[in-house]
Amino acid sequence: MKVEEIKAYIETGILELYVLGDVTPNEKRQVEEMASKHPEIKAELDEIERSMELYAQENAVEPSENLRGRVLGSLLTNLSDDRNFSKAHPQKDNDADDEDEDNIIALPVQKKESGFYKYAFAASLALLVASTVALVNVYSKLQASNEQLVALQSDKQHFANQVKLMDGELTVYRDTTYKLLRLKGTAKTPGSVLTVAFSPVHKKVVIDMANMKMPVNDKAHQYQLWALVGGKPVDLGVFDSAADTLTNIKEMKSLASADAFAVTLEPRGGSVNPTMDQMMVIGKF
Amino acid sequence: MSKKNKISLSEDELVLALRNHEKIAVEALYDMYSSSLYGVISRIVIDTAIAEDILQETFVKIWHSFSGYSAEKGRLFTWMVNIARNLAIDKIRSKDFKNQNKNQQIENNVTFIDEQRNTVYKPELMGVKDLVRALKPDQKSIIDLVYFKGYTHVEAAEELGIPLGTIKTRLRMGIMELRKHFN
Repeated sequence: MKVEEIKAYIETGILELYVLGDVTPNEKRQVEEMASKHPEIKAELDEIERSMELYAQENAVEPSENLRGRVLGSLLTNLSDDRNFSKAHPQKDNDADDEDEDNIIALPVQKKESGFYKYAFAASLALLVASTVALVNVYSKLQASNEQLVALQSDKQHFANQVKLMDGELTVYRDTTYKLLRLKGTAKTPGSVLTVAFSPVHKKVVIDMANMKMPVNDKAHQYQLWALVGGKPVDLGVFDSAADTLTNIKEMKSLASADAFAVTLEPRGGSVNPTMDQMMVIGKF
Repeated sequence: MSKKNKISLSEDELVLALRNHEKIAVEALYDMYSSSLYGVISRIVIDTAIAEDILQETFVKIWHSFSGYSAEKGRLFTWMVNIARNLAIDKIRSKDFKNQNKNQQIENNVTFIDEQRNTVYKPELMGVKDLVRALKPDQKSIIDLVYFKGYTHVEAAEELGIPLGTIKTRLRMGIMELRKHFN
C-alpha cells in the first residue's frame, strides 16, 4: 500500500469510529488488520486512543467509595477458579470472548426486538380495527334480525286472529239453528243487499259484512239494524258500510225472536226510533 | 479511600499482571480506570445504583474475558470502555429497565450528570477550560453522543439532524482538536 493510500484510509475517519466503538465486526477486523500491517496506521490509531482516553479521564466520575470493596471482593473471591479456567482453554477463550464482544456491539439484535414489538403493536391495532368493524357488522345484522322477528311475530298474531275470526264465521254457517235472511233494497236503494243470520236458540244476530251491498255512509251517519218484534222496532246496533277487512261478520245485539229485520240510515250512534223514510233494506221471515 | 492508597502501574505492567491474575492487578485496574469508566456508564445510566452495578459487571467481564484482549489490537482502555459502554447500553435497552422507567431524556444526560455530580479533576488535567475552548460545541456534542452515549454515528446524524458525511467530518475534526490539545 502506498503512502497516499494509507493517508486516504486514515482520512476516511474509520480509525476514529473504531476507537469510539462504532464499527461493525467486519470493519473492526479490517482496522486491526490494517494496523498490524502498517505502522503509520497503528501510530495514528494509538494517538486517537490516547486522546480519547484522556478525554474520558477529563469526564471521569468517581463512583461511591464502598464500590471498590464490592468490586474487588467479587473479582478476587473466585480468583483460583478463573485461573484454572483460563489456562485450560486459553485459545478457545480468546475466540469466544471476541465473539462475545462482537455480540455486544451488534446492537441490531436489540433493534430487531424493538422492531418486533412495533410490528406486534401495529398488528394488534389492525386486529382491533378489524374486530370493531366485524362487531358493528354483526350487531347491525342482529338488529335487522330482531326487527324481522318482531315483524314475523306480529304477522303470526295477525294470522292467528284471522283464523279465529274465520272460525267464528264458519260456526255461523255450520250451526243449524241460524236462519239466514236476505234483506233487499227498498224503492229508495233497489240495489242494496244485506244478509242477516239469526239464531233464536243462541239469541244471536250477525250480519254479513263481506257481501253487503250498501251505499257508503258519510261520517255523520251510520246504518242501524232493527228487528220487528210484534210490530215494534227493536234496536240491534249500528254499523258502517265500509267494513274493516278483519271482520267479515259482525255480531249485533242479542235477540230472542223477530218477525222481520230492517236497516235505516240514522245519525252516527243510532236513534231510539227508526227514521222510516231512511229505510235502506228490509226482509221478513 | 484516599488518593495515597491508590495503586498505579504502567499499562504494560498492568496487562502483564492481569494476564497472570495477580491480586494487585485487580486493585490497580480499579484505581486507574474506575472513574473514567464510570464517567461513561453514568452518562448512559442515570440511576446511581444501577450504574454502579454496571461498573461492577464491567470489571467482572474485563477480568473474565481478559484473555480476549491483546495489546497489538490497541490500548487497554479502548477495549475496556467498549465493554462498559455496551453493558450500559444493553441495560437501558433491556425490557426490565424500560419498565422501571428510570431513564431520563437521553439528550440531557451529559450536562445533567455534570451538574449533578462532582466530576473528577486531576492535577495533570488542569487544562479543561482550554479544552472546552479547543472543542467547538458542535464537535463536542457529536463526540459525546457517540463516545459517552453509545450512539452510532448514523443515530447521531438522525438525532442532530445533520448529514452523515458532516457527522463523520466533525467527529474526526473534533478528535484532531483533542489530539492537538493533549499534545
